Amino acid sequence: MSLNRIILKNFFKSVKNYALYIFALIFSVVLYFSFVLMSQDDTIAAELQSESVMSTGFTVGSVLLVVIIVLFVMFANSIFLKRRNKELALFQLIGLRRKKLLRILVLENAVIYFGSLVSGITLGFLISRMLLLLLLRMLQIELSIGMSFSVTAVTQTAILFVCIFVLLMIQNFIFLKRTRLVDMLKLNQSIESDYRGIGFWTIVSGFLGLVMILSGYWLSMNIMDFGTVLVPLLLGILFLTIVGTYLLFKASVAFVLNVIRQSKNGRLNVKDVLSLTSIMFKMKSNAFLLTLISIISALSMGLMSFSYISYYSVEQSVNASISNDYVFYEEEEMLFYSELLDESGINHEVRTVPFLNYEATGEGITINTPRGGSEIDLVIVSADHIESATVKENEIIIKGLISTLDAFMNFEINSPITLFNSDYEQTLELIEVDGEAILPSHVARGALQAVVSNEVYQKLEEQYTYDEELRDNLVSYAIDISEEDSQEIFELMNQDGHHSFESRINQYTVQMQGAGVMMFVIGFVGIAFLMTTGCILYFKQVGEGEDEKESYKILRKLGFTVNELVKGLTIKVVLTFGIPLLMGLLHTYFAVNAGWFIFGSEMWLPMLTVMIGYVFLYLIFAFFSLLYYKKIVRESI
Amino acid sequence: MIIQAKGIKKSYGNRLNRTEVLKGIDLTIEEGEFVSIMGPSGSGKTTLLNVLSSIDQVTSGHVFVEEQDITTLKEKKLADFRKEDLGFMFQEYNLLHTLTVKENILLPLSIRDIDKKEAEKQFELVSKELAIYDLKGKYPSEISGGQKQRTSAARAFIHQPKIIFADEPTGALDSKAASSLLHKLKQLNSKIRSTIVMVTHDATAASYSNRVIFLKDGLIYSSLRKGERSQEEFYMEIMNNQSVIGGVGVES
Ligand SMILES: Nc1ncnc2c1ncn2[C@@H]1O[C@H](COP(=O)(O)OP(=O)(O)OP(=O)(O)O)[C@@H](O)[C@H]1O
Ligand SMILES: [Mg+2]
Repeated sequence: MSLNRIILKNFFKSVKNYALYIFALIFSVVLYFSFVLMSQDDTIAAELQSESVMSTGFTVGSVLLVVIIVLFVMFANSIFLKRRNKELALFQLIGLRRKKLLRILVLENAVIYFGSLVSGITLGFLISRMLLLLLLRMLQIELSIGMSFSVTAVTQTAILFVCIFVLLMIQNFIFLKRTRLVDMLKLNQSIESDYRGIGFWTIVSGFLGLVMILSGYWLSMNIMDFGTVLVPLLLGILFLTIVGTYLLFKASVAFVLNVIRQSKNGRLNVKDVLSLTSIMFKMKSNAFLLTLISIISALSMGLMSFSYISYYSVEQSVNASISNDYVFYEEEEMLFYSELLDESGINHEVRTVPFLNYEATGEGITINTPRGGSEIDLVIVSADHIESATVKENEIIIKGLISTLDAFMNFEINSPITLFNSDYEQTLELIEVDGEAILPSHVARGALQAVVSNEVYQKLEEQYTYDEELRDNLVSYAIDISEEDSQEIFELMNQDGHHSFESRINQYTVQMQGAGVMMFVIGFVGIAFLMTTGCILYFKQVGEGEDEKESYKILRKLGFTVNELVKGLTIKVVLTFGIPLLMGLLHTYFAVNAGWFIFGSEMWLPMLTVMIGYVFLYLIFAFFSLLYYKKIVRESI
Repeated sequence: MIIQAKGIKKSYGNRLNRTEVLKGIDLTIEEGEFVSIMGPSGSGKTTLLNVLSSIDQVTSGHVFVEEQDITTLKEKKLADFRKEDLGFMFQEYNLLHTLTVKENILLPLSIRDIDKKEAEKQFELVSKELAIYDLKGKYPSEISGGQKQRTSAARAFIHQPKIIFADEPTGALDSKAASSLLHKLKQLNSKIRSTIVMVTHDATAASYSNRVIFLKDGLIYSSLRKGERSQEEFYMEIMNNQSVIGGVGVES
């Protein structure tokens, strides 16, 4: 038999080993291809109110995707190489030159690789159609999608994966070059040599890891108190949690498990053998990878939460910034459009609301910045102009409190608030605080608004010290449509294409689509990240299962049943997936908790949705790992 | 009569490509006996041991242990049987590399309700006799081949099983370590009447037993009883017999 035939035969015999690798490849191709395909779909872009949103979102997304795909494929390749270590060593031992070996590897890889590329593109095409439907749903656009197949997308995907192929070949070359023959043949021993006792430094760094993570969390909870040094603080938190996570995997876990182990004084039962002792060593040597996984998943969960929060809060944030259906800068414009609406027979109300600027202070207001104090600017409106508000004399309602401000300010209901300017003071009781705006943002200029009774307003007006230049500007002009406002009415008013007013419904559409595209892109990339981390953990489990096959065999010879072994392995799987999962979830929680208010008004629901999705995905991978272990154990004897 | 094998056949491979390793073996081992199995490499010694100890399944024939036919038992029952009544020393040591020497040795006790002190005492006793007590905190990768073999022996002895199966237990040992291991086996055999079935290439080791069975090409070729003879005389007879069979000769 010629050498080539032997090699070929070997290849087909071990094709089972390639399954994972092929899966990883196809998966990556599908991800990338469907993403590119969608980004080039004009149907959506045409429907969007703002076209740039789509392309920016997708560009950022595709860069992130490329990074994760490259890492993932290279990781899969390295596992794959290690598994074939012995075989490669043998070929070298019988005198095959390294150059020839590399050529064989290139050939093999090329077959697998381009096969995967083609099937990935086909699959990706189908999947992208489905995802596109989902995206349209999210953007609330009704449209049917054709089966447009983009050649550019194919070329783009092909180019990327050819580049990755070259990278992989370099990786293979380095691998072959670096490993000496002795190491390759001693593969099993070299694995065993990792198993050594726990030293003093493990204990110290294990403890340090926990302290670092906890202090990172503590800082993130108290971010407001250190407002003046925000950037170094954020970097510090990042440093503490990342290094802390690394130490946790490197040492803390091994340390804790070792304490449990010591307490048994040598009498380990089979569950301990399969979970405790195995994890103790594996986590240590996989610390870097696990840290990466925890950080990546925390990052993607965090971003997904943020984008979901902003998507979820679009309505509220629009209501907080645009007070009426249509808001105008000039009185003439308002009158012009009012007339236009009248001509079209649309019932509407014209709102001309005068207002005053006062400063406010008092027990009802606390500001949580390092500077403290309790003085804020308020824009005062009379209750006569605001139908929705009922205010008695001496009462005051605060409006337009958006979450960004809410994070800095506390308001005490039923406490006094004093309005003042240079020579007048008026104390009122705060009865309500609310997120909806009552004045357009170009009028309120970021300040909170307040409603007072007409009597109080009169007094305030009398005492007002007018800035002569601005006197005429203390009125806001707006129109509310009596019935439901609709896209048609907006189109009617926007006939010439460049409107000089703000429309709530238009703003809503624009923001919703912006947030929708963002959420879709981040969601896609995020899920891609999570899937790859899950896959990596699964691959690792498969590898460990192969490594430990011998142990299962021994244990079964000693009289432990398949069931007993599987129980022990279940604990192992739960811990290997559970610990990175827990770290990811905790990191996410503290990150989202520290910054959610910038993105919207509701934290828990979006964050929990993302987290549950993540846990669910991991459960699937954990389940598959367990199935795999079961199979190995059953076949071990 | 603790073990009785009737017409055991064992073949490997698929229908097209079959090799028969055991070709019909009948064997009876009494309780408290110390039996050695010898024979050339590849003659099927390990296979026979595996079949007798329920680790491997027979192709045809029956194995009775204490009147119980183990070839028909369910996996769960078999596992229990191995856990409770058997001690193993394998040719390839079969230590778990994630466990320390002590943990490896104590593994068979983990499923029993033995209190901590008792377990500790047993461990000290056995490991000191085999001179591996000082290695108790080390991992298998940190000890020598012979030390691994003694660890594997200690694991087989620790729960004082009814039957001990040992596959070349002295293969990696120098003569001193080998003789202390064999003494220990002999002692278990006489004190608590453990039945011992040992595969060996070494005539000296075999001379410790009451009976030597010679395998050749998957069949029992001959069998020698020690009877009232001294160990030296028995050794000489084993040597003679071995040279008749051929194959692997004197190698210790
Ligand atoms: N799993 C297996 N599949 C196929 N053939 C096997 C298998 N295990 C053993 N054999 C074959 O069965 C025969 C007997 O093997 P066995 O291991 O019982 O020999 P042995 O007498 O223990 O030899 P040694 O003294 O070298 O350990 C050998 O020819 C071997 O090739
Ligand atoms: Mg053998």
